[in-house]
Amino acid sequence: MLKKVMRLLSVQLLAVLGDMLMLGKSRKRKPKLLYAGLLFFIVVMSIVSFTYNLMIGSVLGMYHSLEVLPAMMMVILCITILMTTVFKVKGTVFGFRDYDLVMSLPVSMGEIIASRLIILYSFNFIFVLIVMVPMMIAYGILAHPGILFYVFCSVGMLFLPLVPIVVASLVGTLIAFAASKFRHQNLLNIIFSLGLLVIVFGFSFLLDGREAQIVDVGKAIVSQVDSMYPLAGLFTDAVISYDVLALVMFIGISVLAFFLYTALLKLVFKKMNTAMLTGTARADFKMGELKSSSPWKALYRKELKRFFASSLYVLNTGIGIVLLTVGAIAMIFVDLGTLAGDPQAAAQLVTSLPVAVSFCVVLTCPSAASISLEGRSLWIVKSLPVTYKQVYLSKLAVNFTIAAPAILDAAIIGWALGLGIYQTVLLVLVTAASIIFIACYGLLINLVFPNFNWVSEVTVVKQSAAVMVTIFTAMAYVGIQFVFLVLLGSFLPAYLAFLILTLFLDVALYLALVTYGKKRYAEL
Amino acid sequence: MLKIINLSKSYKSDRKAVDRLNLEVGNGDIFGFIGHNGAGKTTTIRSVVGVLDFEEGDVIIDGMSIKEDPVACKQKLAYIPDNPDLYEHLSGIAYLNFIGDIYQVGKSQRRELISKYADAFELTPNLGDSISSYSHGMKQKLAIISALIHKPRLLVLDEPFVGLDPKAAYTLKMIMSDLCKEGSAIFFSTHVLEVAEKLCNKIAIIKGGKLVACGTTEEVKGNSSLEDVFLELIETK
Repeated sequence: MLKKVMRLLSVQLLAVLGDMLMLGKSRKRKPKLLYAGLLFFIVVMSIVSFTYNLMIGSVLGMYHSLEVLPAMMMVILCITILMTTVFKVKGTVFGFRDYDLVMSLPVSMGEIIASRLIILYSFNFIFVLIVMVPMMIAYGILAHPGILFYVFCSVGMLFLPLVPIVVASLVGTLIAFAASKFRHQNLLNIIFSLGLLVIVFGFSFLLDGREAQIVDVGKAIVSQVDSMYPLAGLFTDAVISYDVLALVMFIGISVLAFFLYTALLKLVFKKMNTAMLTGTARADFKMGELKSSSPWKALYRKELKRFFASSLYVLNTGIGIVLLTVGAIAMIFVDLGTLAGDPQAAAQLVTSLPVAVSFCVVLTCPSAASISLEGRSLWIVKSLPVTYKQVYLSKLAVNFTIAAPAILDAAIIGWALGLGIYQTVLLVLVTAASIIFIACYGLLINLVFPNFNWVSEVTVVKQSAAVMVTIFTAMAYVGIQFVFLVLLGSFLPAYLAFLILTLFLDVALYLALVTYGKKRYAEL
Repeated sequence: MLKIINLSKSYKSDRKAVDRLNLEVGNGDIFGFIGHNGAGKTTTIRSVVGVLDFEEGDVIIDGMSIKEDPVACKQKLAYIPDNPDLYEHLSGIAYLNFIGDIYQVGKSQRRELISKYADAFELTPNLGDSISSYSHGMKQKLAIISALIHKPRLLVLDEPFVGLDPKAAYTLKMIMSDLCKEGSAIFFSTHVLEVAEKLCNKIAIIKGGKLVACGTTEEVKGNSSLEDVFLELIETK
């Protein structure tokens, strides 16, 4: 059995990695660079995680509560796994493209399910490494624990993702199952998932605050999580008090939950996949009045429908704008002085909070996956009497549409922060220019790293080379805004300089799209 | 209507998938393009319709080069690939409307032709459903309808009969004949030699990227069957 599971797993992992790293056409040249990029990403994130752990640990240490750190990180990790896995269930466990092929092979359903769940486990384990290894080092530096801490923590880490994966899969399965009962599956999926996001972000908002609050909230959360999620308590007892029984129970419960879920999955696997892959067909169409529009409008509408057809696409690229809009509305009602704590911090917030606008804008980048998402249907646009410019513009226009509320949000934030008229106008202009930047940049990067042979939408939208490169390099662009603020000292010159830089980048990207982009379109 | 002049296309390996290919499809022709798997049929077809870039030669459609003026060329043609991967997020009617908008088909003509061809292929009741719920054959039918609603002057099809039920295959053959009577040209690849023999007035056989036979159906097959001629040609080194 294990041999077959491993064989299935290797093929599926290769397919997912191929999608992520775009191995597809050019197996020789790019993988090395991209694997190096992935490794670089893990290292950078681990350094960030280590710094965060050290900071939180130091604060906790000042309040003699350092023992909270492992459980706190475990909670953060569990939330991360929960959030990311819920959206991956559809596409990984259910509704994956090669379902027919895999199911026709002489392998048992248990083996197929095991291989799919191991994929979920493998990718979540990267998160475990990024969060828990730096935590171990930071805790080691601050608390000087015995060797058993490292041993118990390392063993516990292996089993840590199991229960969050089970919970996320159950929630994801329920959402997918409920949505599959309706005609507008994706709309319901988006609504359910956004609801879940709001709940989790509302919960994690409690984590923000000043030092004493971090400790209080940290302790409160850990005690609350202990009562709600006893595994966190077991994990803390195991690694802090070297309680062998707690470790055994932690491992036992995690493994048992995983096996129970696998057994449950066996019962619904075929039924769920059938429901998701066949869709709803009513076969009762009657020809009525047909609407017509211009070719460009038709392309734009097609692109917009593509965006809203995938709940994963909407959630992954729309979360920035949702957060920004919610934040902007909240700013109207929240007193800045109360939020910041003291006038000096409030003044700092006034200068730096607009950077958050750019941060949310660069997260709103559907164009980075828009070329790859054409997938095997690419032949349609390529054989239609439309120019490459019309195709690109339709994709950019969808990005502009989705990100457009950011302009209004920027105006609201400017007003709520009490910025002057010039500063507010400047903030609005920077936001508009940033929207153009991220849309064009995402499209260009997707043209450099296209992938049309993807097996699952998940890998294109969430993990493809194009999306990862776009988002992480765009973060550097946001970083420049911060650097300008530090170097130039005040809002007006810093934002003016940033606006000029962004406009310059917009023009450069336009030129790249009409030259390199034109050539690339012919090659696709 | 269609002139392929010295068309060559290589992929990353040095081997030419299509090697200095020349052929001509006139108005009213039903031109069958035959060859075994990997002979270069799909590469030729994808180059003709402007989906695939090519290095050498040219493709002329109604006097215009697909390289120089791709949009004008594509306005006159319709293409159906061997595997019709359509926009699964759209319903059948939304897809047809999308194609109608791109080709600027008037409302009345659009409605009339969609009704005509959807009825002919018995797809009308399913047009409101999502394409993701369609079977392979239904997608193939939808792709064919979308190709016909803008009255193309040149219809290019890659293995159009694969996946169609016998009645739909018959309907397609009738439509192809009617289109040619109206002056359109059809260029299609097929493995079904009987269909090619009965339907086409011109045939070309491709082997290793090169044409090994081209002419009227009578000229190509002579006194033998097309099957015998084909087997003999592809087995000759």
